[in-house]
Amino acid sequence: MIGQVLGHCRVQAKIGEGGMGVVYRAYDEALQRDVAVKVVKKDARLGSSGSQDLLHEARASSSLSHPNICTIHDVGETEGELYIVMELVEGKSLHEMCRDAGLPPETVIRCGVQIAGALVRAHDRGIIHRDLKTSNIVVTPDGLVKVLDFGLAKQVGDRDASFEGPTRTFETMQTSSTFSGTLAYMSPEVLRGEATDYRSDLWALGVVLYEAASGRPPFGGRTGFELSSAIMREIPKPLGPPVPPGLWAIIQRCLSKEPAQRYQRAGEVLAALEAIQGAAVFATTPNSDRAEPPTMAHHSVRHARVRRGDFLLLIGTTKGAFILRSNVNRSRWEVGGPYFHGHAVYALAYDNRADQHRIWASTASFWGTMLRSSDDFGRIWTNPQEAAIRFPADTGLSLKNIWQISLGRAGEPSTLYCGVEPAALFESHDDGETWSLVRGLFDHPHRPRWVPGNGGLALHTIVLDPADKQRMYVAISAGGVYRTNDSGRTWSAQNCGIRAMFVPGKYPEFGQCVHKIAMHPARPERLFLQNHWGLYRSDDSSENWKDIANGVPSDFGFAMTMHPQNPDCVYIVPVESDQFRCSCDGRLRVYRTRNSGASWEPLARGLPQKQAYETVLRDAMTADSLDPAGFYFGTRSGQLFGSCDEGKTWNKILEGLPAIVCVRSAFIEDGFGHSIATPRVAPQPPPSSRSKSRAASPSRRHSRQKKR
Amino acid sequence: MPLTFHIPGPLREFTSGRSAVTIEPSPATLAEALSALWKLFPGLRGRILTEQGQVREHVNIFIGDEDVRYTGGLTSHISAGSEVSIVPAISGG
Repeated sequence: MIGQVLGHCRVQAKIGEGGMGVVYRAYDEALQRDVAVKVVKKDARLGSSGSQDLLHEARASSSLSHPNICTIHDVGETEGELYIVMELVEGKSLHEMCRDAGLPPETVIRCGVQIAGALVRAHDRGIIHRDLKTSNIVVTPDGLVKVLDFGLAKQVGDRDASFEGPTRTFETMQTSSTFSGTLAYMSPEVLRGEATDYRSDLWALGVVLYEAASGRPPFGGRTGFELSSAIMREIPKPLGPPVPPGLWAIIQRCLSKEPAQRYQRAGEVLAALEAIQGAAVFATTPNSDRAEPPTMAHHSVRHARVRRGDFLLLIGTTKGAFILRSNVNRSRWEVGGPYFHGHAVYALAYDNRADQHRIWASTASFWGTMLRSSDDFGRIWTNPQEAAIRFPADTGLSLKNIWQISLGRAGEPSTLYCGVEPAALFESHDDGETWSLVRGLFDHPHRPRWVPGNGGLALHTIVLDPADKQRMYVAISAGGVYRTNDSGRTWSAQNCGIRAMFVPGKYPEFGQCVHKIAMHPARPERLFLQNHWGLYRSDDSSENWKDIANGVPSDFGFAMTMHPQNPDCVYIVPVESDQFRCSCDGRLRVYRTRNSGASWEPLARGLPQKQAYETVLRDAMTADSLDPAGFYFGTRSGQLFGSCDEGKTWNKILEGLPAIVCVRSAFIEDGFGHSIATPRVAPQPPPSSRSKSRAASPSRRHSRQKKR
Repeated sequence: MPLTFHIPGPLREFTSGRSAVTIEPSPATLAEALSALWKLFPGLRGRILTEQGQVREHVNIFIGDEDVRYTGGLTSHISAGSEVSIVPAISGG
């Protein structure tokens, strides 16, 4: 089996064996991540219908998404074998942790809360575990509990197809000692062959908690018969100090022989455990090892199942983020999310440098603004204890929002930039681990005279010159365009020829409310600019700007996107005026120039042309890197539109989202470093490095996982 | 006497799910009490305070029924047995 490929997973090493099959560590070559693969011999204990049942159950369980449930990624069948691909969880089983003397009560309660939380989620989805035991529960070094083997659970609901207790129980008792562990967790009703439900899992939870607290199971016996008899008739030996009476009471109630006497719902056990947990009193000089794991998984969120060759849209809204998956046809979409419920996500970026698939997201809420990332398309996100982007003490400022996340140039695979509010630029040269304020811009004498636009005082656009590694442009509302030619040490205002309608002198040195700037990497000396009133082009690296609003219904607008292949081609979505920031005449139209602004043409086929008072915000439009190029934009009313033919025709992809503030695209390369469509330049964010250092990448990935 | 913090739902991911955290003995001021809370659950600090150490604009802290904005902010005195509530403000869209 070692070296064999199942699906897209290459089997690497055996890591365990259980009653159902053998578990291997494997590497998912498509998504480039470590996984565990459980291989079940079809003839081991399953007939052909049993195989189908198992596949069905594993598929059902793969819908479970919870931080305390080991995620099932995929199931499949090869000759003679079924396999289940799941999250690789590294840690110790609860069985190993407690087998000598039991664990401290606080640890038992902490684990119990997480196990009960996992059961709440599964039971809510109609899935019972059926095989909950301490050896199926793994605790990671961070203290995160993962319940394994929901692949053996079964959908409840159809009474005829409900729990196969009698048959399977009898088989397992007869045929395999590996199931004797399982027997110890079976409830009296399972042993009696009666219909069972969620409450059998609550019994098993009672056994798990008893064992975790004392190091021994509540019932014993030298044979399966004695053990079954004890489970059905005996009262477990009471647990005294250090087990607190509250915990013992919860365990006792879980271990009521009659299901009706137990808790009726996992949520009740969870609440009871939380209540005694909340009652714990901490000394004001605490232990130092109580830190929570700095990651978050999303509860009750549907995830897009991303495979190689897929195409993604990353959507940021004022109330969370979404990840949409399609293939290169870009016609049918699977929606993942919402991620970060209630948080505004103004910036997203896909980072595939150094063989990774990382999504960056900024999240802003009452509780502050964070830069986060996910290496598995949204299942797990970093959740830093402390924000890495923060203003130094001497500035007296506090971060309000992150408006832009930009990747470094080719050859700068560890570099990232963030444009933030209040207007400032931050940079990182270590994959986003640490960030520093770009002082050259922050200390610019103009800064005290920048004024907030409607959206706040934000540095919202970063454009790197791909040819000149010391040159970079930023756009600030309302400060204007600034350029550095020396890697950020000094900056100059670059607004010559750009109007500012809201000051008496219409052409000030700075203070313009620029909404977006765009550059095609093939012509780095030329920039396009959408202003708060005004469309401009510069042919001399922003020294001078020329009005190019030739034939647009309004030169007011926000979004501006380059065609990925044609440096003369730019897309905008005009709005009527600063007073009425909606599409002109109630007709939603994208405008395109193919001659660098000498003329513009409307692109409206497929877009609403009656009573469509829409606004497309500055980062809510993007292009993809495919050929012919696709374009996508979202509206403040939560509609998402896309075109696969360079804007000739548009389709509504989704509606009903919260206000869309950011749209980005990502193409998941087909295999290793080879894109099935030639990766061209994505104009926003700036072109990511395609340089690969495969030898270096695994260690990067692993070191990051450890840090989490 | 112990001091009890009431933790709002969105922040319980940083307190192992606890809705209440009790520390003993009770410190004399809110700043000291919060400092003890950060030591237990470091992720709370950046959610409740800005990087400049101010209580976030849309976060309210109450000692008993009193909003600390009107009782001296972080220097507010805490009497033994107090309950401190951390509550998101009602605002936003």
